[in-house]
Amino acid sequence: MTNNDAGSSIAAPAAASSNGTASTSANKDNKTPFTVKAGLAQMLKGGVIMDVTDAAQARIAEDAGACAVMALERVPADIRAEGGVVRMSDPGKIKEIQEAVTIPVMAKARIGHFVECQILEALGVDYIDESEVLTPADDAFHVEKAPFSVPFVCGCRNLPEALRRIAEGAAMIRTKGEAGTGDVVEAVKHMRTVKADIARAKAALQEGGDLAIRALAREFGCDAALLRQTAELGRLPVVNFAAGGVATPADAALMMQLGCDGVFVGSGIFKSGDAAKRAKAIVRATTHFRDAKVLAECSEGLGEAMVGISVNSMKPEQKMAGRGW
Amino acid sequence: MVTVGVLSLQGGFSEHLSSLRKAADSSAADVHFDFTEVRTPAQLAVCDALVIPGGESTTLSLVAAQSGLIEPLREFVKISRKPTWGTCAGLIFLSEQASATKRGGQELIGGLNVKVHRNHFGRQMESFVTDLDLPFLSQSSSQAAPFPAVFIRAPVVDEMLTDNVKSIGERLEGSIAGSQKPPATAAKVEVLAILPGRHASNRKAAVGDALPVSPGGAGDIVALRQGNVFGTSFHPELTDDTRIHAWWLAQVAAAYR
Repeated sequence: MTNNDAGSSIAAPAAASSNGTASTSANKDNKTPFTVKAGLAQMLKGGVIMDVTDAAQARIAEDAGACAVMALERVPADIRAEGGVVRMSDPGKIKEIQEAVTIPVMAKARIGHFVECQILEALGVDYIDESEVLTPADDAFHVEKAPFSVPFVCGCRNLPEALRRIAEGAAMIRTKGEAGTGDVVEAVKHMRTVKADIARAKAALQEGGDLAIRALAREFGCDAALLRQTAELGRLPVVNFAAGGVATPADAALMMQLGCDGVFVGSGIFKSGDAAKRAKAIVRATTHFRDAKVLAECSEGLGEAMVGISVNSMKPEQKMAGRGW
Repeated sequence: MVTVGVLSLQGGFSEHLSSLRKAADSSAADVHFDFTEVRTPAQLAVCDALVIPGGESTTLSLVAAQSGLIEPLREFVKISRKPTWGTCAGLIFLSEQASATKRGGQELIGGLNVKVHRNHFGRQMESFVTDLDLPFLSQSSSQAAPFPAVFIRAPVVDEMLTDNVKSIGERLEGSIAGSQKPPATAAKVEVLAILPGRHASNRKAAVGDALPVSPGGAGDIVALRQGNVFGTSFHPELTDDTRIHAWWLAQVAAAYR
């Protein structure tokens, strides 16, 4: 059984209103069934979602085989360089990108900024990323995501954080990593932490059953039913992508071999020398992530990678991953 | 033993593998199935039947081309005529023509002599689950219960193509399965399921398309078969209901009996 096979048992979390055998009734009160929200993420698996800032970049991404694009005003590397308060994109930009491509278009909202989310939903974006890359708008609450018809993806550093987001209604999870650095170390750390947490939950369920799960849920500060479901599945109950620092085909394959379902690439593509070539190479590496011969081929002659910043050299307050809880 | 591959370039391939295994485990058939992921021509070569999953159809065709799989897939579907099932993006990939494709078009394998309309219902906000009557399932059981059909940015069949298809006005944005080899098959396109007109108001995406299948708005074609090729617009692999997988495996078993 491969890492990816583990994805086969994905089912809607217990906290959601519907499960794998969804019925029409949920549709009638204009509430999108969780199956439909999580289902789009399942269709993105094995793919690469690319940050783009305009229609031209979106077309390069689509032509390179991106399975979706993330529309934003500035890529994280520029956000980092320029500083200031970073907000949702101009709706005009998002519309321009929606017009340009046929693949799903995602967009970012600030943590806790539910009105930005309402606006993005009205624009008809396919997924909202409630993202730590933007400046948080609420220091106590994330957006209550379940009531929205549009599905949400959220970042995490560990399992408890992921399950808190899923309990709020997130239908897809990604590692936070450290956006805009081109340094994959934090994404790796977050993925390994999630896996170690899942292993603990599995052991707790096996050894102590519900009692141990409840105790662990208290320690984790997360929903016990979702924790139990995770322990039973042996993986997150929704799709989990890598994000934050992926810059090369090898980085993408590394995250896939660690068990991620797919990859977000932010600054890594359009801050590099030959964006189209690098984008294609990362898409190919994500499909053939176990085939070292293919990985060698697609790593060759890509030109300059983004310069990047070593996360080790950063002060804690410079890191975005610490935003949210 | 019958080897069933699932094209595993991108999308919901692990869900299909899981549903196929579940369906095979609960089947009484005397055929032994082996299920495998397909990412290379060599892996395709050992398969007797193939599932092409949902995903992004543009990604699927680009990665298939990068992986040297386009011609081997056409050979598999149209020359060897092995049983092949496409869901959602897989249905697009198996159609001779597609509209609302990305700028510059996208490569198709073909096999189903139809034209599909991508993202027919619109964006993700228009995705839905609905109970669907699938008459083809009731042949095996007395009265088939409705199937929970999950439509995600789904395509529908917009047009049946005839042999002189290439002379019909082509849309600038459309794609045609490019192949020197003829899609020659005596088999006719069989419509297996229709989504009733509940989404007639939602057809804005289709306005302007020539020759709709059902001008009266009686519904959209969401499941069909032509010879060895089967296609569904929706995602049976996203539900716990394995009846369609079981039905298709029975067709595969019959083809190799």
